[in-house]
Amino acid sequence: MLFRFHNLIISALFLLVSQLSADDTQAREIFVEAILAEGSEQTALVESLSTTASTLVPDFLEAWKRGDIFLLEADGSAAPTPLLEVEPEQEGGTPTYFRVIDGEEMAAGSFDPAALEMARPSRKTRRVFTMTIDLLALSTPNVQERADAALKLGLKRDDDILPKLILLRETETEPSVIEALNEGIAVSMLSHGTKEGQMDAIQLLRDENSIAGLDALKNLRHDLNDGLATHPFSEEELAKLTASIASIESYISWTDFVGTCFRGLSLGAVLLIVALGLAITFGLMGVINMAHGEMIAVGAYSAYISQTVFYSLFSESTFALETYFLFAIPFSFLTAALCGFILERTVIQFLYKRPLESLLATWGVSLILQQGFRLIFGAANRQVRSPSWLLGNVEIFDITFGFNRIFVIGFAILIVFGTWFLMAKTPMGLSIRAVMQDPQMAAAMGIRINRVRMMTFAFGSGLAGLAGVFLSQIGSVGSNLGQSYIVDSFMVVVAGGVGNIVGTVISALGIGVTDQALQPLLGPVMGRICVLVAIILFLQWKPGGLFPSKSRSLD
Amino acid sequence: MIKFSETQRSLAGIIAVTFFLVVAMPALNLFGSEGSFLHISDYQLNLWGKYLCYAVVAVSLNLLWGYTGLLCLGQGLFFALGGYAFGMHLMLMIGEQGAYKSALPDFMVFLGYKELPAHWIPFKSLSFSLLAVLFVPGIVAGVFGFLAFRARIKGVYFAIITQALTYAACLLFFQNSFTFGGNNGFTDFKTVLGNEIFAPSTQRALFFISAVYLSLCLFLIWWLTKTKFGKIQRAIRDSENRVRFSGYSTTTYKLIIFVVAAIMAGIAGALYVPQVGIINPEEMRPSKSLEIVVWVAVGGRATILGPVIGAIFVNWLKSYSTYHYPEYWLIILGALFVLVVLFMPNGIVGLPEQLKGFYRKHRFRFQQKKEAAAEA
Amino acid sequence: MSTQEKAEAKKKEFILTCEGLNKSFDGFKVINDLNLYIDKGELRTIIGPNGAGKSTFLDLITGRIRPDSGTIEFGPGEGVALTKMREYQINRLGISRKFQTPSVYSDHTVYDNLLMSLNRNRGAFAALFYRESAADRERIDEILETIRMTEKRSLIAGSLSHGQKQWLEIGMLLAQEPKLLLVDEPAAGMTDEETERTGELLLSLAGSHSLIVIEHDMVFVRQIATKVTVLHQGSILREGTIDHVQSDPKVVEVYLGRQHEK
Repeated sequence: MLFRFHNLIISALFLLVSQLSADDTQAREIFVEAILAEGSEQTALVESLSTTASTLVPDFLEAWKRGDIFLLEADGSAAPTPLLEVEPEQEGGTPTYFRVIDGEEMAAGSFDPAALEMARPSRKTRRVFTMTIDLLALSTPNVQERADAALKLGLKRDDDILPKLILLRETETEPSVIEALNEGIAVSMLSHGTKEGQMDAIQLLRDENSIAGLDALKNLRHDLNDGLATHPFSEEELAKLTASIASIESYISWTDFVGTCFRGLSLGAVLLIVALGLAITFGLMGVINMAHGEMIAVGAYSAYISQTVFYSLFSESTFALETYFLFAIPFSFLTAALCGFILERTVIQFLYKRPLESLLATWGVSLILQQGFRLIFGAANRQVRSPSWLLGNVEIFDITFGFNRIFVIGFAILIVFGTWFLMAKTPMGLSIRAVMQDPQMAAAMGIRINRVRMMTFAFGSGLAGLAGVFLSQIGSVGSNLGQSYIVDSFMVVVAGGVGNIVGTVISALGIGVTDQALQPLLGPVMGRICVLVAIILFLQWKPGGLFPSKSRSLD
Repeated sequence: MIKFSETQRSLAGIIAVTFFLVVAMPALNLFGSEGSFLHISDYQLNLWGKYLCYAVVAVSLNLLWGYTGLLCLGQGLFFALGGYAFGMHLMLMIGEQGAYKSALPDFMVFLGYKELPAHWIPFKSLSFSLLAVLFVPGIVAGVFGFLAFRARIKGVYFAIITQALTYAACLLFFQNSFTFGGNNGFTDFKTVLGNEIFAPSTQRALFFISAVYLSLCLFLIWWLTKTKFGKIQRAIRDSENRVRFSGYSTTTYKLIIFVVAAIMAGIAGALYVPQVGIINPEEMRPSKSLEIVVWVAVGGRATILGPVIGAIFVNWLKSYSTYHYPEYWLIILGALFVLVVLFMPNGIVGLPEQLKGFYRKHRFRFQQKKEAAAEA
Repeated sequence: MSTQEKAEAKKKEFILTCEGLNKSFDGFKVINDLNLYIDKGELRTIIGPNGAGKSTFLDLITGRIRPDSGTIEFGPGEGVALTKMREYQINRLGISRKFQTPSVYSDHTVYDNLLMSLNRNRGAFAALFYRESAADRERIDEILETIRMTEKRSLIAGSLSHGQKQWLEIGMLLAQEPKLLLVDEPAAGMTDEETERTGELLLSLAGSHSLIVIEHDMVFVRQIATKVTVLHQGSILREGTIDHVQSDPKVVEVYLGRQHEK
């Protein structure tokens, strides 16, 4: 993986090599000079690269740092020619070389590769690489990159850069970049500014709720305590600094809290879609369907199939990528529901009176399906690409909201509402509830219980299929995709109170949020273990779950 | 003809199994001439030693599920805990013969430990380790069972939370920082009780011990089913409320049974580890514990020999089909479970009875038809 | 003796004293400020429409559920508070219960069903090393005689008819040698003849035992009842002889619906 990634950079560089613009030509010349120069002259030349406005510079500097620039010694007293080495596509092949000055490929055999000598930048030069790249970024037309670079440079608190930033602020017109510049300058001012500058910076960082400036503020307080600061602070000024720190910290804990809740909700939403199907098959029908996880996998593979079909119909166009997902949602539901239907007819209908044995039989089915997936789709995981409208994110108040997370929450709400509507408001739901409570009585009332059970089971499996579509967007699709969710979703149903949809919703969201809240403290695995243990302890307190079913029967 | 009672017949069965495992198999291994039909190779004997450990776990689960109605989907955890406890001793007995020539177990060197963690030190003692084999699964089962039974968690709920328990333990043992070797677990053992671990004589002795242990477990279960305790156990399965309202503390009974079953499985795990030479968190995966349930179901639940037959049959089938049909063995196994549950609710042991029933039913129908024909 | 002392002395003769009992499920009051006193040796019949709280009342006594408030005391003299005890502890005090649906060990023989119910040490270790004595066997034979199942002793309980299961469960109660029997709908599923015999059995137990019988079958109630308590919406509506109760317009109204509105 690392190797492929490496190659990717080089081929990008190769593409750039063949394009020639005035900026690039100038950059190439300076770059060659820098390679051949020594000491502080080399450093100065590299620094001057930041004024070239050439997009080649970062790639060149990267390659130099990595050791891909070589010197071809010329005959006589002429200067050596710097070459760029590009790794071969296959392992064991011979690398190709390009002249740095004009990007021309060196014909094999025209020189002896063994005679090449690696060109090493001096240690001092290496240090200015990143700064050069960042300064260069300050002049890119991309607003976001420019703002990021401004902030990053400010955070360096380098008194050489500070004047440059102040200068830039005067010419900059984009408000978001000005804001970033202000923040960056303020952070730099904390270390290098006058007393007034420092006080202004403290105020500004507080007003801006600058998370990036927090470390600088803390450092300043530290220095003041140790008596290392340039200007001593009065009590009042110190209090202002402390207040500023406290204000930013409380802002951070607020954004953390909201972010955790959001991530927890989205995890809970996934769990909910998985568990809702289970709540229906297990909770309402009393059938422990261990193959429920495989129904999820069926849904995920259906998403993969619809992607493949769309690609073959419309070629790998943007249209196919953007629309296949809309098709995949109903398709996955229907395939999984069909599988559930078949499972119910062939196995489960004989086991309604033996719930523990339905567990064993469906586990057998789950083994068969898992191996079946491997035989059909291969043992390797399949990748499903997300449409672009699921990939982006929006940042509000320093909290990142991923579109896919927002989508899954919205979709979960829709599904819960739909299920509730089906169960509570339709004649079908009425017969379902009747059959669940007392199948004999329902049959006596003229309800076709076999048909109702069949439909209910297919519906529950279909919901699992929908969960599969979303899981395919989060990770890759494999034969044991469902296995990693099955234990958790059983716990969701049990903790929520079997047979209760509201309970399932609350417990899924509760478990999702708890999990996300514990993860930063304990790490993902320990967090998960704690959640499982917490559920076991919770059942001590409420053995029937949040909303226990109210049955008068004895056993 | 003398009619034997159910108990007498099962006793005869146990004695026959004991004779076969404890006397006949080792004898055939030692004295059977090489290549003859009756000879059992060292490899075969070792394989059977493994099966016998599985059989004990199945017997322990049957004690819970078959006789008490408590379906535990975490029996593999207790098996693994026993295995880990003894495995720790075996790890320390490697001494400086490991790959890193260090006094510390290899994985600790690899993970950068400077010294043995405190909780490892007592495992240098064999007797402590053997006690741990009993107490670790016993205490885990005791605490968990106390909580679960006190809260009256039973049936499907009990099954699901025991599954969650083994899943949580599995995640925990996969962690390198948990000091039990992470996902590699323990392996590369050299000696057991001072004997070279993979020497045929050692493996033979381990087989013998496993066989004796299995027989002892079977006799224990046989005796238990005869006692009032055993009767109450089955009464709990059929009508727990009635038992409770008859003045029995069912919580205590269930807890005792759960702990005994856990210890039984733990010892099996301790015997298993030196025979296969490895223990890792894979054994705690929920699917492993489900497999144990299937052994019992295939063999015949609530029968004395059923779990043994089921465990040996399924594992033999597994070895056979992974070798001959590596792509399809999961499908074979899965289909077997489905078919057994659907068509053989009493398992292999119940099959003759089931066939007899079929025969009677069909003969009855046939006679009815004949009579109808005669009348006409 | 002052009146209060008299009341105290009287209280000491009650085998069961329930005072101020309350229990609600999800805000619905099933038992509402219930006060009930059972004399030693009394046979009390409780009747009431569905949902009156009859079975819940038995659940409260046997510890299956806990009351929200109120006290339940057992025994003459210094009563034992039952509200904090577990089912098996309450049973060991001498309170036995027959369930509405017959609850027997369906996989065991009739004999074993009775054997397990015998009032012996019920500890786990005692059960492990228990051997039945001649006295135990005699006692079981006696009970089999009483419930007329001597020849069915080695049948599997699951194969018995509904009525026979009811009898077996009563036999299991007898084996526990209880002081107080709580009998929930004993006549359900029995033939008329069986019902009458059940009535006779219960009557013969009264005096030496105290009994609370819950029943719907009014013929049966008439046969056994000396004192009847009518439960309605979790509290006592009327208490008295069967004739007294049956002629009460309020009871009639509760049972037969809103007559006045017609």
